[in-house]
Amino acid sequence: MGLRTVGLKRDKDLVERVARLEQEVADLRRHNLRLAELADLVQELLVPMAQRDQERVDAAIAAFQDSL
Amino acid sequence: MLDLRVLRVDADGVGLVALGSDRVVDVLFDGRRIWSFWVRRDTSRGGVGGLAGGLGRSITWPPAMRPHLVGTGSVTLREHVSGADVWSGEVVFTDDARRVEFVDRQGHPISLDKSDRFSPVFAERTAADLDPLLDAMGELLDVLAAHGVAAFPAYGTLLGAVREGDFLGHDSDADLGYVSSHSSPVDVVRESFRLQRAVAERGWATYRYSGLAFRVEVVEADGATRFLDVFGGFLDGGRLYLMGEVGHPFEREWLLPLGRTTLRGREYPAPARPEKLLEVMYGPSWQVPDPAFKFETPRQVTELLNQWFRGTGHARRDWERRAAQRRRRPVPKGSSALAKQLRRAEAPGTLVLDVGAGRGRDALWLARQGHPTLAYDFAPRGLQKAQRTAARRELPLEVRALNLDEWRWVLSEGARVSRLPEGPRAMLARHVLDATDEFGRQSLGRLASMTLRGGGRLYVQTWTGRGRGGAGLVPMKVARVQKLLERHGGTVLDVAEAPAGGADGGKGSVGKVVAQWD
Repeated sequence: MGLRTVGLKRDKDLVERVARLEQEVADLRRHNLRLAELADLVQELLVPMAQRDQERVDAAIAAFQDSL
Repeated sequence: MLDLRVLRVDADGVGLVALGSDRVVDVLFDGRRIWSFWVRRDTSRGGVGGLAGGLGRSITWPPAMRPHLVGTGSVTLREHVSGADVWSGEVVFTDDARRVEFVDRQGHPISLDKSDRFSPVFAERTAADLDPLLDAMGELLDVLAAHGVAAFPAYGTLLGAVREGDFLGHDSDADLGYVSSHSSPVDVVRESFRLQRAVAERGWATYRYSGLAFRVEVVEADGATRFLDVFGGFLDGGRLYLMGEVGHPFEREWLLPLGRTTLRGREYPAPARPEKLLEVMYGPSWQVPDPAFKFETPRQVTELLNQWFRGTGHARRDWERRAAQRRRRPVPKGSSALAKQLRRAEAPGTLVLDVGAGRGRDALWLARQGHPTLAYDFAPRGLQKAQRTAARRELPLEVRALNLDEWRWVLSEGARVSRLPEGPRAMLARHVLDATDEFGRQSLGRLASMTLRGGGRLYVQTWTGRGRGGAGLVPMKVARVQKLLERHGGTVLDVAEAPAGGADGGKGSVGKVVAQWD
């Protein structure tokens, strides 16, 4: 395998690696929104649910959905 | 005006020759601005015959304008900055014996805003019309301040205030912005959710655009609804990120402490150095009026904001437009073959969740058959007629908004339905998996698993890729549907596929899958 071929292969590998890293960064960035959603949901609904107060659970879900 | 010559204005559009620098031209009908365009940026070569053909450029009427171009209109083309008329005359658009009109259903004069949508723009509004919006801006700023956010007029509203002390005449909504004290996307999104909740509790209708922007609806004196957009932002690593167009190097001192600006004689908070923010929003030429302005946000900034905050409404604008266009038409009669299949298989009185109910044809039919029915759509406006019909006839139909692209919708609705009185349940999802994105597809599986546990069945229909699939649909093969439902704990009971040109209303090939959750 000549030097030129090795160089081309390395360039190709790097291009692929950058593309893969970009994809992974994008995937990680997308977790921000979903993590925020889950944290918000848990924060708003967990307490009334843990209290097992049926009316409060219904009210909490209704209030939560009114603000979506 | 030697370097701008208009050669034709006709039913197709405008043909002109433009030499020298680019500039904005307003198009007026009966002396009122309806649309604006840049003579070079927005036109393309050709479309002009004769001697000037080689230099000629042309532009066609925007699609949103075309339905209005009926009859004859008095058209003027006016250079926006100098105010000089470059063309004026009567144009016959169609043979109809009437004048071209630009008014909405309530008779308000309308023009095209920066998003190429028709709305009653500020130039047409009286002081009495605008007072409620100015009041609402003040109240909203107070609500946000009470929740720890120092907001200020942003984008076009800031530009209008700083440059003209008024709203921009061609603008149609008001924008507020704020810069969070948080510096991570998760925290600023959570804060935006919290702010929307505070605004909703105040009694205003709201609508979320993305993880970092929402809209507040204000009803004006004459009944027109005006929108206030609330864009969140944050500073991190010496950069300001402001939804939805900004990601630039920025100093905290240019923002805080907030100063003041004047809008129609009222004082509002403003960034300490508003010109710095206007420059990153509109470029160095922000002081030159441009009613045809289009954001040229760098691709990296758009990608970053997309990845952090967007993805909460796949093709929602298209579906909302379709829903708005059809909402006054009668709900189509009858039902789909899939709804009939559900009806045959399920016990009388089974609660049906019709997800992606569209106009509500199946939901209404199922309610008529005695099934308590929940009709869901993320463009619920399309279901208004079905809802009214059901209310009039006392049918057990409930219309609910549901966005499969937000976990908060899906999980809270799953929790809510799981608390409804026990009894048999079924879900209908006709052309949902093929209309949403991958996140939405997984959400449907999740919603099914939450609401159908204990023997409930899901009836799915998708376009599988042959023939015509219908507007907004992507092919979804049955094997993929099967795999998705199994991944969410469903047991597939039945799979069927009909070739293109089949009997089920559409011309495309359709797949049907029935799955059960035990």
